[in-house]
Amino acid sequence: MSAGPLLELQGVAKRYATGRTAVEALRGIDLRVDRGEFVALMGPSGSGKTTLLEILGCLSLPSEGRYSLAGRPVEEIPADGLAKLRGEEIGFVFQSFNLLPRLSALENAELPLVYRRVGRGERRERARAALERVGLGGRERHLPGELSGGERQRVAIARALINRPRLILADEPTGNLDTTTGGEIMALLAGLHAEGNTVVVVTHDARVAERADRRLTIRDGRIAEDRSTH
Amino acid sequence: MGLLDVLRQALRTLAAHRSRSILTLFGVVWGTASVIFLMSWGEGVALMIDRGLMKTGKDMGQVWPGRVSEEFTPAADRRWLWFTDADIDFLRRRARLPELLGAEWWEWLTAARGPRSINADVRGVDPEVLAIRGVPVAAGRSITEADLAHRRRVALLGEKARQRLLAPGEGVGTRIRLGGQPFEVVGLLAHVGTQLSRDRAEIDEMIWIPITTAQTHFPAWWTDEPVVNRVLYRMRDRSLRVETETEVRALLAERLRVGATDEEAIGIFSSVEMLEEIQVDRIVGVLFIIAVTTLLVGGIGVATMMLDAIHQRRREIGLRLAVGARRRDILLQILLESLGITALGGVLGIGFGVAACAGLARLHVEDLIPLPVLRPGIVATAVVVLVFVGTTAGLLPASRATRVAPAEVLRNE
Repeated sequence: MSAGPLLELQGVAKRYATGRTAVEALRGIDLRVDRGEFVALMGPSGSGKTTLLEILGCLSLPSEGRYSLAGRPVEEIPADGLAKLRGEEIGFVFQSFNLLPRLSALENAELPLVYRRVGRGERRERARAALERVGLGGRERHLPGELSGGERQRVAIARALINRPRLILADEPTGNLDTTTGGEIMALLAGLHAEGNTVVVVTHDARVAERADRRLTIRDGRIAEDRSTH
Repeated sequence: MGLLDVLRQALRTLAAHRSRSILTLFGVVWGTASVIFLMSWGEGVALMIDRGLMKTGKDMGQVWPGRVSEEFTPAADRRWLWFTDADIDFLRRRARLPELLGAEWWEWLTAARGPRSINADVRGVDPEVLAIRGVPVAAGRSITEADLAHRRRVALLGEKARQRLLAPGEGVGTRIRLGGQPFEVVGLLAHVGTQLSRDRAEIDEMIWIPITTAQTHFPAWWTDEPVVNRVLYRMRDRSLRVETETEVRALLAERLRVGATDEEAIGIFSSVEMLEEIQVDRIVGVLFIIAVTTLLVGGIGVATMMLDAIHQRRREIGLRLAVGARRRDILLQILLESLGITALGGVLGIGFGVAACAGLARLHVEDLIPLPVLRPGIVATAVVVLVFVGTTAGLLPASRATRVAPAEVLRNE
């Protein structure tokens, strides 16, 4: 994969107004992630790592500072453009899976294609291939409630990669899983990285973080440590 | 999102709270059925009033001679006026706006059959009057030009006049006396029923004879001319009522040498004017407002149910936004869901409303209350109102849904 910055943050800060007090979740993040990197975001709870992931995924905008995704300053992109960006360039994996409970595995996986106006036939085909890729061939018709935790997370990963995004963002993807299953999920993410995807994983589990080739530690809204292992 | 997905989601929203959904749907069903039923019923009321008023003669105007008004002549010589055959001929030649013009003679006469006698409203009529009144002959024949030419002593009896005058079993061919003169009953008029407008007696109580016979056998005491008591006309179009009256009055005034606008000299009345004054549209309008309000209340039910559903589906909405849905995709989805729920209730409501209209018609109570008249336009109106209600009910929930912040709702719990 070609190197070069995929994500670039300069002085990014994020404040929330909760009731009367303002919470400063991020205070001046400078960060550059190149294409093809596998980054782990670590830190104690409340350190701001999830907030940072949300900003990276364009789910929320920085209160201050600049964030460029693939060279484009995010704050200049209109709302519909951000939606398109989220749908086409970014794949999300959440700790609590966030599958729609009444849709089958196949329908969950194809959801991003629905909003790209992809035809039903192609949608089905690509969703089937994605489920195959995460080892869920033959489970297409199951509802999330009929799947184990690990299988649900695989469906979520299939959904994240269905648009062949440049960036996969995972927030505690193994947090709700046992160690063995968590290991399988991490192996899957590592495999995606090996295929050239840029992956950013939020975790507080050191063993999970070991899979990444770059580990960022966040404390009190700042990057406290930035170590590359490879 | 396909349309089918949206409908499925609408059903899911309904299924999530069964008893509440039933109440909500009931509101929409009831409201829609009300729109259909009340509007059809209003249509029926309007039709009943129209028919009732038109029973004396469809789109008919009646003209009678009066007395020159004080505004046109000194009180001392306010002369009385009367019409003659020559005036009617003049009017027939000159008037353009009436479609038909007829001459009528009237008198209260003693009608007798054997030992029975009644005081009857006897009308001398010509074929035009018969056409304007439009009452079919139930038995025997009508009065013809030949009857007029030969001044025959023949009579048509209204339904009640026959019941009062003739013995059971007697009918066409019976000999009766009118004002002492022998007449033969040649025809019986069909049942007319309750009139909302009448001139003296109801048609059912009248006895009709040829006008020439009446003029010959019961002449006026003040003149030798053949007197016509009233002119009846049918206007070409209801909307030309005033113009027709103005023309007829002006022509007769010219002929009788009175003021062209003297309403005391030439009196004109039309049941079309009564119809205009009753303002049936307003009755229908009030019924429409009542019905639509009921439906709007049903819409409020849909809106609150949707708001609740949106609150419970924040995570789903957040996720859809995260995987590429634009705000307007979400807006459209929620609006369509609201429309879907409303459509479900609406289809049921239209069914019930139509069934109620049909059911009332099968009870055969048309003599007691007006029957609803269902027109396609009423169903179309109900559909338009439903689309409005469904969209409006979806607006608040939809705008609430688009304000979901994905970052907040997707956070791990």
